[in-house]
Amino acid sequence: MAKKTYDLLFKLLLIGDSGVGKTCILFRFSDDAFTTTFISTIGIDFKIKTVELQGKKIKLQIWDTAGQERFHTITTSYYRGAMGIMLVYDITNEKSFENIVKWLRNINEHANEDVEKMILGNKCDMDDKRVVGKSRGEGIAREHNISFLETSAKANINIEKAFTDLTLSILNKTPGREPTDVPEKINIDRKSDRLSNRCC
Amino acid sequence: MELSAIMKDKLNAGDNVVALHEGVLLQGWSPKAHRLLALVERNLSFGLFVFTTSRNPPQAFTDLTINFVVPIDSDFKCDIDSLSAESNSDIYINLSARNFKLFMGMDSGHETNHFFNELSRSMDLYLKNQQTLDFQWLKKYNINDIDLELGLMMNINGDNTSNNIITANMAVAENDISFPTGTQTLSSRESVIQRQMILSEEQYTNAQNFRIYIGTWNVNGQPTLSSLNDWLTCDSEPPDIYAIGFQELDLSKEAFLFNDSPREEEWLQAVTKSLNSKGNYKKVSLVRLVGMMLIVFVKNKHMDHVKNVATDTVGTGIMGKLGNKGGVAVRMDFHNTSLCFVNTHLAAHVEEYERRNQDYQNICSRMVFSNFIPPKTVKDHNQVYWFGDLNYRITEMDAISVKDLVRKNNFKNVLEADQLKQQHRAGNVFKGYKEGSINFLPTYKYDPGTNDWDSSEKNRAPAWCDRILWRGNSIKQLAYRSHPNLLISDHKPVSALFESEVRVVDLTKYRKIHEHIMKKLDKAENEYLPQVMVDNTEIIFHNVKFMEPQLKELTVANTGQVPVQFEFIKKLDDSTYCKEWLRIEPFMSFIDPGEKCDITLEVLIDKKSAYKMISGQDKLYDILVLHLDGGKDIFITVTGNYERSCFGCSLETLCYLKVPIKNIPFGKLMELENNKSNMTSDPYPVPKEVWYLVDHLYRHGLKQEHLFEHSGLRSEFVQIRNWLDNGTPDALPGSVHSVAEALLILLDSTSEPIIPYNLHATCLSAVSYYSQCKQIISQLPERSKNVFLYLCAFLQELLNHVNDNKLDVKTIASVFGEIFIRDPPRSRSDKSGHTRTSMSRKKTNFVYHFLVNDQSDLIINTSF
Repeated sequence: MAKKTYDLLFKLLLIGDSGVGKTCILFRFSDDAFTTTFISTIGIDFKIKTVELQGKKIKLQIWDTAGQERFHTITTSYYRGAMGIMLVYDITNEKSFENIVKWLRNINEHANEDVEKMILGNKCDMDDKRVVGKSRGEGIAREHNISFLETSAKANINIEKAFTDLTLSILNKTPGREPTDVPEKINIDRKSDRLSNRCC
Repeated sequence: MELSAIMKDKLNAGDNVVALHEGVLLQGWSPKAHRLLALVERNLSFGLFVFTTSRNPPQAFTDLTINFVVPIDSDFKCDIDSLSAESNSDIYINLSARNFKLFMGMDSGHETNHFFNELSRSMDLYLKNQQTLDFQWLKKYNINDIDLELGLMMNINGDNTSNNIITANMAVAENDISFPTGTQTLSSRESVIQRQMILSEEQYTNAQNFRIYIGTWNVNGQPTLSSLNDWLTCDSEPPDIYAIGFQELDLSKEAFLFNDSPREEEWLQAVTKSLNSKGNYKKVSLVRLVGMMLIVFVKNKHMDHVKNVATDTVGTGIMGKLGNKGGVAVRMDFHNTSLCFVNTHLAAHVEEYERRNQDYQNICSRMVFSNFIPPKTVKDHNQVYWFGDLNYRITEMDAISVKDLVRKNNFKNVLEADQLKQQHRAGNVFKGYKEGSINFLPTYKYDPGTNDWDSSEKNRAPAWCDRILWRGNSIKQLAYRSHPNLLISDHKPVSALFESEVRVVDLTKYRKIHEHIMKKLDKAENEYLPQVMVDNTEIIFHNVKFMEPQLKELTVANTGQVPVQFEFIKKLDDSTYCKEWLRIEPFMSFIDPGEKCDITLEVLIDKKSAYKMISGQDKLYDILVLHLDGGKDIFITVTGNYERSCFGCSLETLCYLKVPIKNIPFGKLMELENNKSNMTSDPYPVPKEVWYLVDHLYRHGLKQEHLFEHSGLRSEFVQIRNWLDNGTPDALPGSVHSVAEALLILLDSTSEPIIPYNLHATCLSAVSYYSQCKQIISQLPERSKNVFLYLCAFLQELLNHVNDNKLDVKTIASVFGEIFIRDPPRSRSDKSGHTRTSMSRKKTNFVYHFLVNDQSDLIINTSF
């Protein structure tokens, strides 16, 4: 029996320093909700969301990673297989912006070569506490030829757009990609990914 | 708060909770899907509510979500099956109502009895009062929430047996609304979406009226006329849809035998030409079986909304197969409403009305649009238009009376004798169908070319053979008539015009609701991912000591809705899921929803890991990856501090330590271990720890039987270790056996053995020659050589007392052989038993030389 609940399955990944709001961005996108309490992500979590773009039903499996430094080496092993990566920094946190370069390097070392990237300057609702100007974000994005958006998970600014844009850019370069039919496959892939991922 | 009080907050004022019970949905794949059932009453009418709870037990009404509400009415059924051995639940209940089926397990008990007593009372009350009961209050509950499990359950039922497919499908058909399913087989998610879309159809469709023209004519095999306008264009306003049926289109043998007829094209042309010229029509479908032909046209502008067109034919002629009688049908989805047009030619002859009934039944059961899953039959449509030469006659009245009455336009009396009216009224045929009132002359039988009744000698009574019936809601017949000016056949054409309500999709609303349902499903899917809570993700072990295991517990609680399988998995390049000094029990297990699993982490720094801790090669730090099968990974950090001990230090380092090791800073120790320290003071020839232990044995153990053969006590080892590491003025504690064992452990815990790993092979090949063995010893690093010779001297002394201690030189040589000539770490496991025995023998022989020969020449050359 052919089971086709969606046309395409995209795996996306959120990375960036601890506390920049990766989980909130994901929560806003998947549940359309926001919570102010900060609970650090200790591990790797994912949510699914189905979107329809260009007449195609696309199932997004979005992975949220722990941002804490001590987990960096472990989290890089999850980059493999990601088709899109969102690099998130916090516009009120200089260090998180400076680290974008480091995260980009991480992607180059560990992710698929053709992975679509996007830089997000989160917390743009907190303009009074801003320390990273929008132009700096745009600058680094231009430098690396990556698209850029300032977002706010709290005020729901550009969240939907960020995911839509990233999904579209993956969609546009994968016209003939066959649907991954069986969702269970992901987990198997994931496991074998990790076992075979000898790039570090 | 009491559960019933919480429930009351959830319900509308005036609705009373009569009884409550918790149950578990049973469907095999998710054993612990709890649902709360509540029997609710308002003005003596009852409803059964099914809730999911987000917290168990619920604390506030917001923890409750209503999944389903069903009225306790004539459709409601409840079967109880007790004492089933299959499940933990004591009883099974099987609830069913319109659009609803539920199979649950419950514990049996006092509360359960109460619940079912109340339920059966409510069912009794319904039977007593059903005329006066009003269930409108139930509609005030907003049940837009999708219960994935309930939704899937219906689907799962559908997958299991064909019997249930009908059940599941009926549930949808009951609603009298169908949805274009296409030919694709659908996954569960897809069917849940569909079901939800069907249930919320009202919200995204608008009712819109369309005109449907139905025409039927038995043309008696005559060639076509140039114009059919009198029949097809008799209304000024052009209809939206034309469905035109013919019978006896072709009576030729060719048509009958090969179903091939030039008449098809001729009549199609004639019909196409005669459609209302004010409308622009497009042919949707043409289907023909021998002489029965049906053509459906739709206004061009509506074509985009015509979907899933299908046709089928059924022959009911001789042998129930041949196509001289039977029916042809076209079905289609028009906007969001399914339409079916059936053109039939039923059995002829006056007295054969029962055969006509049978033909009807036959067509009903055999007309199947099989490219749908499940296949659709005529009744599976929102609207059915059934027409044709149904062939029912006038009986119980002679031809003269009929002709007389109809001439006077007194149709009523004649229609009393109409077989179709009689059979329809008796419920023998066309159940659920309607027919408009007949105000036209019988359509059969005329002399062809005239409006004169049949003049043949048979002299049949005229009859209304040609009829149009319909089935479905919101269909209004605007006209029902015959067209006597068309003379070529012995039948007159008949037509009907309908104004029919069709559900038209509001695309904006449709998208919004579709999106909403997708969101709900995504949400449900996310909620059904495995979820756990780990009570601690940073495990800290304080003051871990050599050879003293420490335990910490970690609790993993399944906080999700599905059973969880967890496993600690390897990360990156690691070959194991945790460091060698850590043990996780269990490292993999299952947890049911609401249950917990305690995991024990045990840290043990032994001889394999101690030297790494001292030298800084390793530290008490590990990140564990707790993986949930099909879900997330949780990182658990294990840290701690290791209390330095002489165990694990190299002999070289120990020789430089003039004070107890506890007084040496860790950094200094690490420098020593890595030969980075410039110790100025002279080192001891042998480590003081070795000396203390040997001296103790020398003084207290020379006459001890089985020395180095009996194991010591773990508790005494800890005391000895503390004494060596802390340096106390008291005497060395512990029995001689424990001291002897401590000595062996001390020598066995160093990173390099006394015979260094690089000399291991040389050493084993030299065992036959004492001189070579001596050569090797003389080349050892000074401190190792000292310790070796010192111990050999001690062992020789020990063996001088064999009369008392009954020691055997071979045994001692064997014990110390393993210590002095330790196998390199990687080789230990991959040697076969045979090789190992031969290696042991060699080691024993090596040491044996030094126990039976005088070592003074070697000793003189040392700094002792």
